[in-house]
Amino acid sequence: MKVSNNKFEKLKQNFPIFKNNKDLIYLDNAATSQKPDIVIKNLVDFYEKQNSNIHRSIYDLGEVATDLYENARKTVANFINAKYEEIIFTSGTTEGINFVADSWGKDNVFPGDQILLTQVEHHANFLPWQRLVQEKTAELKFIKLDKNNFLLESYSQDNLDKLINSKTKLVAITLDSNVLGNIWPDNLLEKIIKKAHFVGAKVLLDAAQAVAHKKIDIEKLNPDFLVFSGHKMFGPTGIGVLYIKKDLHKNLRPYQLGGSMVYSVFFDKPAIYRDAPNKFEAGTQPIAQAIGLKSAIDFINQNIDFKELIKYESDLTTYLLNNLQLIPECQILGNQETLKRNGHLVTFYIKNIHAHDLSAFLNKKNISLRSGNHCAQPLFDLLKIESSLRVSFSFYNTQKDIDLFLEALKEAIIFFK
Amino acid sequence: MVNKLYQEELMEHFKYPKNKIKLDNPDFFSDIHNPSCGDSVSIQGMLKKDSQTGDLIISQLAFDGSGCVISQATASMLTQFCKNKTVKDILNLNKDDILKLIKIELGPTRLRCALLALQALQDALQKYVE
Repeated sequence: MKVSNNKFEKLKQNFPIFKNNKDLIYLDNAATSQKPDIVIKNLVDFYEKQNSNIHRSIYDLGEVATDLYENARKTVANFINAKYEEIIFTSGTTEGINFVADSWGKDNVFPGDQILLTQVEHHANFLPWQRLVQEKTAELKFIKLDKNNFLLESYSQDNLDKLINSKTKLVAITLDSNVLGNIWPDNLLEKIIKKAHFVGAKVLLDAAQAVAHKKIDIEKLNPDFLVFSGHKMFGPTGIGVLYIKKDLHKNLRPYQLGGSMVYSVFFDKPAIYRDAPNKFEAGTQPIAQAIGLKSAIDFINQNIDFKELIKYESDLTTYLLNNLQLIPECQILGNQETLKRNGHLVTFYIKNIHAHDLSAFLNKKNISLRSGNHCAQPLFDLLKIESSLRVSFSFYNTQKDIDLFLEALKEAIIFFK
Repeated sequence: MVNKLYQEELMEHFKYPKNKIKLDNPDFFSDIHNPSCGDSVSIQGMLKKDSQTGDLIISQLAFDGSGCVISQATASMLTQFCKNKTVKDILNLNKDDILKLIKIELGPTRLRCALLALQALQDALQKYVE
C-alpha cells in the first residue's frame, strides 16, 4: 500500500520545527500539533507592531488590537458555523469545560439529577462533572463501551430512553476519543443529542480531538456547548474556544468576574453585566494567542480540505494498523474498522513491555509519541491495561514516518524481550 | 546509541529482580504508585538494632510492584544497596544517590520512575520512626 499526498508533503515545509529538528518524527499530534510559520509570524508581529490592551484603549494601537482580536472571533465563528457572539475565548478545552461545570452547573444541577458521560472521557471532561455531582448530590451516568470492539454501539432506542431520561440534566461527551479515536457508530451521536434535547437536557461536546481532523458544524451538530483548544489545530497554546448557544446567554452566569465584562458597577447594588461575548471574558484576554488561532484557522481554510485530510490520515492509519497486526506481541485498542475508515490515531500496547520503556527507546531514534494512560485513568482501569503507546497523525506525517517507527518498534521489542 | 539506553546491569535487575519476595510480618511497609504512568512499588522490611552503636539497621528488605524497567530495576537494586545500612543513612539518601546507583541520566519524567522505590522506602521508614 502506498500512501502519499504531494500537497501535504509540500505544506510540511511551512513548519519550522521540522527544519530545526532534521530527523524529527513527530507522532504526538493528539497531544499538540506543530505550528506553521505564518502562525508564529503573526504572534510575533502582534507583539512587535500592535501590542496593546483591547476593549478599553482609546488610542489607535488599542483600536487595532481590538479589531484583530474581534476578527479572530469572527474567523472562529465562521469556521464552526456559529454566531459571532456565541464564541467565547478560553485558555483551552479544560477551561471551557470547567467554565460550564462551574457557571451552568451550579445553577442548573440539583440533587437527584444525572449527568451523562461516556466511559472514554479525558480527565478534563470527567473530573469537573465528578466534583459537581458530589457537591450537588447528583449522579454521573456513563455510555458504556461495547466489550468486543470498544465501540459505543448496541444502543437501541430502549437503551437510549433509559440512559437519557427526565433526570438527565446534561450530556457531556467527546466527539473523538484521545485514546480510542473514533468511538461513535453512524447516527448514534445525533440520536443522543436529539434525545437529550427532547428530555430538556443540555449537550456539551468535547471537540478537542476532532477539530483538527474534521469539519465541526455547530448548526448540524446542534450542541449547547462545544469546546476545543487552539494548540491541537496548529495554533498557539493558551487559547481555546467555548461555544455557548445564544439562547443560554441571558441566564448563564459569568465564570469569572473582573474587568471588561461588566457594564455598571456600584458600591451598594449588584453589577450589571455586559452582553455576550464580553460577559464571559473577564480580564485581559490572550490577545496574541487569539490572533495566532485566527492565523491557524486561515491556514487550514487555505490549505486543507477536510475530505482530503480524512482520506490521507485514514490511509496512514490503515497502513499503520495493517503493519501493527503483523507484530504478534502488539494489542491494538479501539475499533480498527472505523479507524481505517476515518481515524487519525492508534493506541496499542506490547505485551509485557512497559510503554515508557518503549517510548524511551523510540525517543533515541527521534520518534516522539505519547505513552502512559493518556489522562484517561478510568478507561485504562476498565480495559485492565496499565499503559499504552499512541501514534497520532497530522497531515505532515508521511508513510516514511510510519516505516521508521515500525522498524524502531520491532528493534525495541527485541531489545526488551 | 540505543544500546546505551539502559545499562546492562539495569536490564539484568529488571529481568531477574533481587528481593522480589513477600516478607511475613514486616516491621515496615509502604505502597506507592506514579499516577502519570501507573508504575507501582511496594516495600517491606525488617529492622534490627546494631549491638555496638544501638542504631536501627535494615536486616531484610523486599519489594513488589509492576511497571517500567527503570522503576522495577531501581527497586531491585535499591533493596540490595540498602541492606545492613542504618535507617538514618537511608532517610538521607537522595536523587543523586539513586542516579549513582543506576548509572544513567534521566529526564524529569523518568526520574520519577527511578525515585519511586526510594520514596516508598523512605515513606515506610518515616512512618516507622514516627
